[in-house]
Amino acid sequence: MTDTPPPEEESPAVEPRQPVEPIQLGEPGEHPLSVLLFSWMRSEQFGRFLLGCVAAACAALFVGDVLLARHGPPSIESLPGFMGAFGFAAFALVILSGFPLGRLLRRPETYYDPPPPETPPTIAPKRRKGGRDD
Amino acid sequence: MIDDIVGLLAFANPGFFLIVAGLFSVIARGTLARAACLLGGPVLALIALVYGGEWASDLSAMNFAGLKLILYRVDSLSLVFGLAFIIASLICGVYSLHREDWLQDSTALIYAGAAVGAVFVGDLISLFIFWELTAVASLFQVLARRTPEASQAAMRYLAFQIASGVLLLAGVAMRAGQTGIIAFADMAIPGASPPVGVIDISSPGAVVILAAFAIKAGFPLLHNWIQDAYPKASETGTVVLSAFTTKLAVYALARCFAGLDALIWIGAIMTVFPIFFAVIENDLRKVLSYSLTNQVGFMVAAVGFGTELAINGAAAHAFVHVIYKSLLFMTMGAVLLRTGTTKASELGGLHRTMPWTALFCIIGAASISAVPLFSGFVAKSMTMSAAHSSGEWIVWILLLFASAGVLEHSGLKVPYFAFFGHDSGKRPEEAPFNMLFAMGMAAALCVGIGLFPGWLYQLLPYRDLAEEYLAQDLFSTSHVIEQFELLTFAVLAFLLLRRWRMYPEERPGVILDVEWLWRKGGPAALAWLGRPGGFAAAAWETTVTSLGKGVFAGVFQVFAPGAWVSRKFPLTAAAVWTVLLLGLVAALVMFSSL
Repeated sequence: MTDTPPPEEESPAVEPRQPVEPIQLGEPGEHPLSVLLFSWMRSEQFGRFLLGCVAAACAALFVGDVLLARHGPPSIESLPGFMGAFGFAAFALVILSGFPLGRLLRRPETYYDPPPPETPPTIAPKRRKGGRDD
Repeated sequence: MIDDIVGLLAFANPGFFLIVAGLFSVIARGTLARAACLLGGPVLALIALVYGGEWASDLSAMNFAGLKLILYRVDSLSLVFGLAFIIASLICGVYSLHREDWLQDSTALIYAGAAVGAVFVGDLISLFIFWELTAVASLFQVLARRTPEASQAAMRYLAFQIASGVLLLAGVAMRAGQTGIIAFADMAIPGASPPVGVIDISSPGAVVILAAFAIKAGFPLLHNWIQDAYPKASETGTVVLSAFTTKLAVYALARCFAGLDALIWIGAIMTVFPIFFAVIENDLRKVLSYSLTNQVGFMVAAVGFGTELAINGAAAHAFVHVIYKSLLFMTMGAVLLRTGTTKASELGGLHRTMPWTALFCIIGAASISAVPLFSGFVAKSMTMSAAHSSGEWIVWILLLFASAGVLEHSGLKVPYFAFFGHDSGKRPEEAPFNMLFAMGMAAALCVGIGLFPGWLYQLLPYRDLAEEYLAQDLFSTSHVIEQFELLTFAVLAFLLLRRWRMYPEERPGVILDVEWLWRKGGPAALAWLGRPGGFAAAAWETTVTSLGKGVFAGVFQVFAPGAWVSRKFPLTAAAVWTVLLLGLVAALVMFSSL
């Protein structure tokens, strides 16, 4: 008497492994150096990340300025945070002045060098009847 | 044989090697021959400088009309400027290898040679000769682009350069006629080493000479020829133009007028007003031209302070500025070559296909912004320290304001709008290899000088003071923290203003500047005066115009092509008028000295 082997349990169907698509770094046609150095800057989070890093650097520099031991007579630039505040204010002033100055001073590109007048299209003279090309 | 060669090198002004290379490049065809001229000339000039003869002695001189012209004299002031010009000519030569244009090649070398020659002469008349040669040679850099705008800009450029030359000639003639002294060493205080500030502003011809230098340095109201002409040159021409003329003027100011108080305020104003024009300017090469005036302002102010630290600062700043400004113009030249434009409104996102150019532009931007460990920091620090020590607090505040401002237009705007910012959709090829190599050379110098400033400080006019400053002040904790603080908070302002959409948009257009006076205002005024039926027109027509026409007609009759004189000598009426005007100036000077 032979024991029939138990029916083999059907193994769950295994889906064929999908080929793993390579991670696309950069854009099609982008220079490899740009992929390495700059492609990560195009992410949506980069702007917030950069702002956070710069703000943190500003805070660290301010703390360093406060803790800095200065020698000599006190002066305005020895006030903690003076250079930072001055840099921020000066930069902002320069940028914001661009709005009124642009309206005041900007003119069309042709202001000094107007484009040459358009030459009217030439009208081809009528050919006489009996000419060579008739 | 070797001794003869060494002798030639020791006693020949290095500028002559560049000029001779320029003359040979007229007939040089093919890359090898062109490279031999473009690179061989600067290399020979550098070797000549290295093997140069004894300092502070007249190595080469000639007699002219009873005056001794000193054609070659080296000291610690001229060495820094001359070395910067030779390095710039080498970098420009490499940068230009991709395009064959004998006119640009030859005039660039002659221009560089004239600038090098000018800093190594020892008297005012020799300076004038090379001064004029720089004007004539540089003109062709503007013309070479061969567009109507470039041609017209070249004529305006020539007018300013000729005005500077005529004023210099007049001033030198007045000085020579009344004092008989033209050599810098003879004018200087005995024992001064190097001789700086050798001309007293109250002495004969001084004001006229200062006016000549003021034009080439781009003093306020005399600055616009730079922003007019430089952006209209070719991608290589602008790089060449940016390297020499204005820094030659700074050298001349340091040599002749160091310590003149007026220069302090003139320089301070020069650092500030270009910032506001650069903010709203759309053409990035014009932005860099305004930036050039801003940077020269630091040098002029330093010359005005006149202390040893300030003169060191001016010389060091000129040296590093030649290199990092050339680098920035080279990156924009590469963009112009590949995209056909340098307008910020039409660019953006180029980092994708021009990453090397973008990287070099960032290095140049960091240098010009005086970020610690880049070249601008090691030079500008001395000027700021000299300003601080002088007690001129308003000037110091203005220079500090300009330091933040330069970060905006050259440190951030140029690289951001060209290579990052909004995507213009342009995908140009990377710059040609020779351009990348030249940019790499300049970038390496920017970083190298920033990391190891000692070798530059050893070349400065007051070496001991420079080394003391390097040891005690340059990299002190407080100085580095303060500089980083100034720049980092400025970058924070940039990011916040961009985020809050409070940053002016880049828009196409031209920005009105003082050039409006002679490009629009002046012609409009003349047209109004000459309108038919006007009283002024009638008076103008019957008296001045008739007289002028009569004289001109008479001259033309004698000197016109085909007329008697022109058949004997190849002159034109224009050339005759030039000679007559110069003769009139000389006569006025001579009669005024009797």
